[in-house]
Amino acid sequence: MIAIDRKRLAALVAMPLALALALGGVAVGQSEAMEPDESVTGTVTFWNGYGADGDEITTFRNEVLPAFQALYPNVTVETQEIPYDDLRQKLVTGIAGGVLPDVLRADIIWVPEFADQGALMALDEEMGDFDDIAAQVFPGPLSTNKWGEHYYGLPLDTNTRIIFANDAVLEAAGVTELPGTVEEFEAMLATVQAALGPDVYGYAEGGTGGWNVLPWIWSFGGAITDPELTTASGYLNGEGTVAAVTKLKEWLDAGLMSPSILGGGTATSDQFGNGQTATVLEGPWMPSIFANQFPELGFSYMPVPAGPGGSQSVVGGEDIVVFSTTQNKDAALAFVRHMLSEESQLAMGKVGQMPVLASLVGHPDLPDYYPTFMGQLGNGNARTPVPDWPAIDEAIANAVLKSLRGDMEVQAALDEAAGIVDGLLSS
Amino acid sequence: MGTSRRYWARPWRRPSHVPVGGTTLEPLGSRLRRLLPIYGLLLPGLLLFGIWAAYPMARSFLMSFTDWRLMGESTFVGLDNYTRAVTDPAFHRALVATVGYTAVTVAGQLLLGLGAALLLNERIHGRSLLRLVYYLPVISSWVIVSLIFVWLYNGQTGVLNWLLNDVLGIIDKNVAWLAEPSTALWAIALLGIWKGVGWTMVVYLAGLQTVPEELHEAAAIDGAGTRARFRNVTLPFLRTTTTFLLVVLTIGGFSTFIPIFVMSTAATGQIGGPLNSTEVALTYTWKQAFGGGLDFAYASALSFLVAAVVALISILELRFARAQGQP
Amino acid sequence: MIIGQWEARLRRVVTYAAALAFGLVMIAPFAFMVSTAFKPHAYVLEIPPQLIPEQPTLDNFVRAWSSGDFGRYFFNSLFVTVLSTALSVSLAAMLGFTFARYEFPGRRVLFGALLFTMMVPGMLLLIPQFIVARDLGLINTLWGLIIVYSVMNLGLNTFLMRGVYAAMPQELFDAGSVDGAGPWRAFRSIALPLSKPGLATVAIFSWLLAWDEFTWAITILADQDLYTLPIGIRNLQVAQQTEWGLVFAASLMALAPVLVLFVVLQKQFVSGAFVGATKG
Repeated sequence: MIAIDRKRLAALVAMPLALALALGGVAVGQSEAMEPDESVTGTVTFWNGYGADGDEITTFRNEVLPAFQALYPNVTVETQEIPYDDLRQKLVTGIAGGVLPDVLRADIIWVPEFADQGALMALDEEMGDFDDIAAQVFPGPLSTNKWGEHYYGLPLDTNTRIIFANDAVLEAAGVTELPGTVEEFEAMLATVQAALGPDVYGYAEGGTGGWNVLPWIWSFGGAITDPELTTASGYLNGEGTVAAVTKLKEWLDAGLMSPSILGGGTATSDQFGNGQTATVLEGPWMPSIFANQFPELGFSYMPVPAGPGGSQSVVGGEDIVVFSTTQNKDAALAFVRHMLSEESQLAMGKVGQMPVLASLVGHPDLPDYYPTFMGQLGNGNARTPVPDWPAIDEAIANAVLKSLRGDMEVQAALDEAAGIVDGLLSS
Repeated sequence: MGTSRRYWARPWRRPSHVPVGGTTLEPLGSRLRRLLPIYGLLLPGLLLFGIWAAYPMARSFLMSFTDWRLMGESTFVGLDNYTRAVTDPAFHRALVATVGYTAVTVAGQLLLGLGAALLLNERIHGRSLLRLVYYLPVISSWVIVSLIFVWLYNGQTGVLNWLLNDVLGIIDKNVAWLAEPSTALWAIALLGIWKGVGWTMVVYLAGLQTVPEELHEAAAIDGAGTRARFRNVTLPFLRTTTTFLLVVLTIGGFSTFIPIFVMSTAATGQIGGPLNSTEVALTYTWKQAFGGGLDFAYASALSFLVAAVVALISILELRFARAQGQP
Repeated sequence: MIIGQWEARLRRVVTYAAALAFGLVMIAPFAFMVSTAFKPHAYVLEIPPQLIPEQPTLDNFVRAWSSGDFGRYFFNSLFVTVLSTALSVSLAAMLGFTFARYEFPGRRVLFGALLFTMMVPGMLLLIPQFIVARDLGLINTLWGLIIVYSVMNLGLNTFLMRGVYAAMPQELFDAGSVDGAGPWRAFRSIALPLSKPGLATVAIFSWLLAWDEFTWAITILADQDLYTLPIGIRNLQVAQQTEWGLVFAASLMALAPVLVLFVVLQKQFVSGAFVGATKG
């Protein structure tokens, strides 16, 4: 087992803990203190993308839902699991056709878009205790709900990407310490290649979109836009971003990184499980998946290697939103509160849905790999929260792909993308 | 009656109870009596058609002249969406890609389908089994075969790479077929051909049955070789079939959506494929509606333009076929 | 030049070899799919690819079936497919017959409209159709699927049946009618029985469409109890982390009925199906 730098890990865990302690406060919706509320009635239709097969949906149906029913016996909850890729299309047709759920577990990048269309209820206006709840969740995930002047949802679960390291591969290559900085990471890549190459790589990535490359871009001190989200020039094609993409290209050309970053290759999780790569960037849902698919696999975790911009990663996750067309406002809001209660967050947290409540950091019932994730979340950035994010993402992906393939110089490709994104931001 | 100028109406012959010279000479009463059962037969089909096809289409057409918003009011904008579509470079590229894709898949299906039909027209062992095998792709769902081919095309451990690189040595390096801008669309086209060949073959087989055996024998006795017999005896009988196939396959090529959508997103996470190289008319349209932007009015305008293009090409194909002189 | 015995034999061999090779290419992807369905996840992407799994397992099939009620999805798909096929065939036959053998005001326009709809991409109609479905209370019902599927291919199906009925000689109808039988009798007693191959073709087209259709189903169905097979399969496919064994096992189970149907009906399908097409 690779020696983890305990000091670093402790520091990363301590930060959000300190935050939580400083905040103190009452946990949201503690059910032992609550009596069943019979005054709230109605039906809540809840759409989610938990997937038809897995621990998430089982836990939801067997623990979280019955707990809610006990608290609100006169409310009926109808849930529907829709595969993620189709959820969006179904939502759009639903909005157009006027057939919508009351509550939705939405990907965080959809919130600005739907809010912009007027489909979502502004929770900071409709929920009396919104500020209390907002104070208890991580600020990064919370920020994904803001559009314009209001908050149109609350974070439900969060995730981020950290480095997973394949113990067996690193051992075979003779790597004894997990790298902490980009330089150390690069040295590790070279060691792996020298010992095990050319078919085994030090790092594998699955694509060039924002979710894939932003951790590197941010850790190198780059950015997509300015903080006010008005322009990309000078940021998307700025020094830090160029440095990050250039470095990735170097790694690819030198054979240090798997060609799967160019797309169309084997899934990085499969490469990792089959020992074809030493490290990948993955999320908190992977350990239980690895346990199923590659039961023999031993691995460790570490944060994104720190570069000039620190150790930064990308925030993902889901927000819980209420549609403005709902006829069951009180019931819907009660459901939202329940999903953000400590019990629910803890229950879902045990099966890979990282809780957003700061009070749960370091909770003994949560999987032991959470601390690293939660630590990284302290340095987590949301992707540009504007309705046009998909188009921006496409511009980034194309620019990075062209750079990596050598179709264009890195600076030129990023200049081109910055121009496109400027256009999108100004419209 | 004269020769009908409409291709599809040609074989119709006037039923004996309809008077020559048109129905305008009929008294109203008997006309109604005659027409009522006819419309009765038409009613269920046309009713459903009206509700589920005509009306939504009309509504979509109207929508294309507005700036339709997901919720709330929409305002009339005239031809704005159409002007925008006609001057949209991304749409042009998508159309070009669609034409390319269609051309390749139609040609591939016609040639290989005819070849397969000729092969299976001979009396060889296991003919019906082979026919079943050739037809298997046709009856499989698009989603399923797209996924199979994504798996086959894997850029690192895929079967195709293994075959071409390790076994046959035709290429020297593994290629990520679906992620390489220069190969992605053609890799998908290959799937399109593979999936459709069986159907084309079956149609041609039926067409080949109509070639009278005596003509073949007569030509053989006259000393015509295989190739000459094919050209002079078989081919003329296949003209109608080929024209039919040409039109139907063209429409099919333009309407292709699922394989391009599934394979592009599976390989690159983007609907447009690597560097938008697999963006065809329909996926581009889908993106406008569902992929961010939620611009349904624009998507409607694009759809109707695509339909117009398809209709135009079909008519051109029919004219071309007519000019070749059909039986 | 009369073809000699040797040449004839050579020709047979070459033809057979070519047909066989082509057949291999056609079936290879399916062979790999079947083989992968029986493999545990770690063996799914190995080089060189093994057609016979080293460690075959039925795990994938078990998981696919038990995840989210596959049996129910199967039944739903069957229900929807059988009914919509019946409806499709009836409508196409009635319309095709009437267009083929009768003159009436609006004939050309209506037929042209039907044909035109063949060219408009269905994606376009998703939202307006959804709104109509909502107004008619068909959201979240299997009937919403049945009716829409019946209409989806109406253009092509009617075109085919029209060709079939137009090719029938007029004498058939003259002989059958003593005092000028009405359209309905002509249709039911004369035309319909004679058009069985064409009907089989339309039936197969409609069956395939309904069995595999996904987009409309996922749009209007809200209750998981009503999901159809394609949705079930899609639910097993997770972006970027697809478990190929699982997906292929589920796909096989969905493919099986169609295969059986085709084997049973193939004679009818192939023999007379395209008479209408080639003459039309």
